[in-house]
Amino acid sequence: MRQFPTALLALVGGIALTAATAMAQDSGPLVDLLVKKGLINDQEAEEIRSELSKDFAANTSAGKLSLGSHLTEFKLGGDVRLRHQYQTTRDQETTSTKLATTNRTRERFRFRLNGDFLMQKGWSAGFALETAPASDSGNQTYENGGDDYGLSLARAYVGWQPRNDLKFVAGKQRNPLYTTELSWDGDINPQGLSEIYTLALGGKDTLEFRALQSIMDDNNEATAGRNGNDAWLFAQQAVFTKYFGTTKLVVAPGFSYTTTSNMSGLTNETPFNGDTIGLALGTFAGELEFGNLGGQANSVKLYWDTSYNFEAGTRVHKVYGLSSAKWNKDPLAYLVGVGYNHGSGKLQGDWGVKLDYRRVGVGAVDPNLNDSDFAFGNLNQSGYKAAVSYNVADFCSLNLAYFLTSDLRETLKQSAVAKLDKSSILQIDLVTKF
Amino acid sequence: MKKSISVLLSAALLAGSLSAADKLVIKGSDTLGAKLVPQVAEAFKAVHPEVAFEIAAEGSTTGIAAITDGTAQIGMSSRRAKPTELSAALAKGVSMKPIIVCYDGMAVIVNEGNPLSQLTLRQVEQIFTGDVTDWSAVGGNPGSFSIYTRNTSSGTYSDWKELAMKKRDYAGSSQKMAGNEQIAAEVAKNPNGIGYVGLAYVHAPSIKVVGILGKDGKVALPSDETVQAKTYPYARPTFFYTNGEPSGLTAEFVEYMLGAEGQAMVKKVGFVPVGKQ
Repeated sequence: MRQFPTALLALVGGIALTAATAMAQDSGPLVDLLVKKGLINDQEAEEIRSELSKDFAANTSAGKLSLGSHLTEFKLGGDVRLRHQYQTTRDQETTSTKLATTNRTRERFRFRLNGDFLMQKGWSAGFALETAPASDSGNQTYENGGDDYGLSLARAYVGWQPRNDLKFVAGKQRNPLYTTELSWDGDINPQGLSEIYTLALGGKDTLEFRALQSIMDDNNEATAGRNGNDAWLFAQQAVFTKYFGTTKLVVAPGFSYTTTSNMSGLTNETPFNGDTIGLALGTFAGELEFGNLGGQANSVKLYWDTSYNFEAGTRVHKVYGLSSAKWNKDPLAYLVGVGYNHGSGKLQGDWGVKLDYRRVGVGAVDPNLNDSDFAFGNLNQSGYKAAVSYNVADFCSLNLAYFLTSDLRETLKQSAVAKLDKSSILQIDLVTKF
Repeated sequence: MKKSISVLLSAALLAGSLSAADKLVIKGSDTLGAKLVPQVAEAFKAVHPEVAFEIAAEGSTTGIAAITDGTAQIGMSSRRAKPTELSAALAKGVSMKPIIVCYDGMAVIVNEGNPLSQLTLRQVEQIFTGDVTDWSAVGGNPGSFSIYTRNTSSGTYSDWKELAMKKRDYAGSSQKMAGNEQIAAEVAKNPNGIGYVGLAYVHAPSIKVVGILGKDGKVALPSDETVQAKTYPYARPTFFYTNGEPSGLTAEFVEYMLGAEGQAMVKKVGFVPVGKQ
């Protein structure tokens, strides 16, 4: 039998094992080159490969991880966010006496752990765990003398992509729609089915058709009337993306409708437990991003969103119980914003600023889906969000956000989702990704 | 005198070791185990009639698992052991040692009535992954492909994915066969059939081998020369795996396999000898 080429193994193995875990498995081309150069023969090459693999398996953490052979990729990641929050609120008065402004500070944190699995034949699956069970927030306030906190399952989904241009996802999943915070809180993971068909238009230009069928609440069908209907959100959207050199334009018109039902037991920031009628929303979101400014990865982005409820009258007067004599249906919400990113946002030293103005008519959006930080999810509000972020490391950022809102109309009659007069929130975050 | 005693003792010990371990269990690859290894075993028995062989050719995966489990002394494999298999073996205190016993070229075969004589690397990938579904897409007569592959425990199944399909999945319509002979038989019966077999099976009746047009513009057919020169794109080494450095009867059989007699049989069966290393 041939003797094992110790010196060569030391050379190749040394390079591979001292550099990085991944290199132990990637040293195949190096071994092939040694064979090609005639420095080792095939048998010696096989022994080196085998020894490297054994070393990888025995001496590295990754080598001890056993994953199914049907997996083609496994991504595990997440983040921890530490937050100091200062907030003020004042409700609308019902008499001539003004109500006092309440102030509150909150020390909070959020933990998220995401796992995404890609499998053969276009299948995928994934999960996400996070603190706090509310649909629109993973924040956990430090409280109760140092009690430990629970984790909630924020996502659990199965995907199937039979072709490059067609993708289906079922389960509790990432929001498949192109949205802004105007009508969809970024923390909300819909549950149901989604479909995305992508039409390639040449270059990087695409036209996507996205659809979502999300179950919002389950009811017992044995109950008569709408209380026995499940609540479903049906959303459809076209997303057109066009590049003009380094400038990107996205326009995304859409329509969503919520079936007639009655929801209860919601725990989001400003929950509306009640009828789901009167939500037929036409939306139009988009952005215009000027990239690669100054030859760097800097960019300026203009972004917008609008929502118009075609059944706002029903929503405002029948569901929220606001008098039609004193309240108009106010079906329109919109958001306009501008942002600047210095760098890609992924590297140490990158920073960004953005400012947007929002107007949320009382009948314009679903109060169970809109941003929980802007006026705490209340309707009948307008105001601003200003945000600054700075990457103290590639994986760690310091963020500051400030929300300032006031009501669009003075109170004539309070409603659970439109009772706010003024609000402000200051959030100072330290976010570390892993 | 002392030297004579020493020789006698050594002979006695060798004879004792053969009689104590007179059965050699070999499991694994169908590519190696269907023809080559049984023939070499027969020749070895002619020299060592006291040795019994148990040979099971049920796929490379089973051969590697048999070494890990300690149920065979030699695991035949037409592919390299995967890192997960090496890791599993290590966990049981087994150190897999690969030994190249010969080379093989995986030939693309079609029915002998098929007018095509060559395919590009890209076309082969497209056919076996299902990117194209009809012979007309690669210049043949219209008709849907009938794709025949090995089953998932086969090393050839894995090697083909790696060498010919950029590690992509097989077409959903592909049919999995137990061995090379079954693939050759199905392709022989089916005018729209296409499959891959080892060099030892390219002379089966009613099939023909398709040349592979490489990136250099040259058409390569699997042969001793192209496999040894590594100019045929679907060439690969085949292995014996043992638990550490082979010893005793196992070492003797491995030496025989790599020796002149064994390598002559390699050539006779249709594989490519290891040659001078």
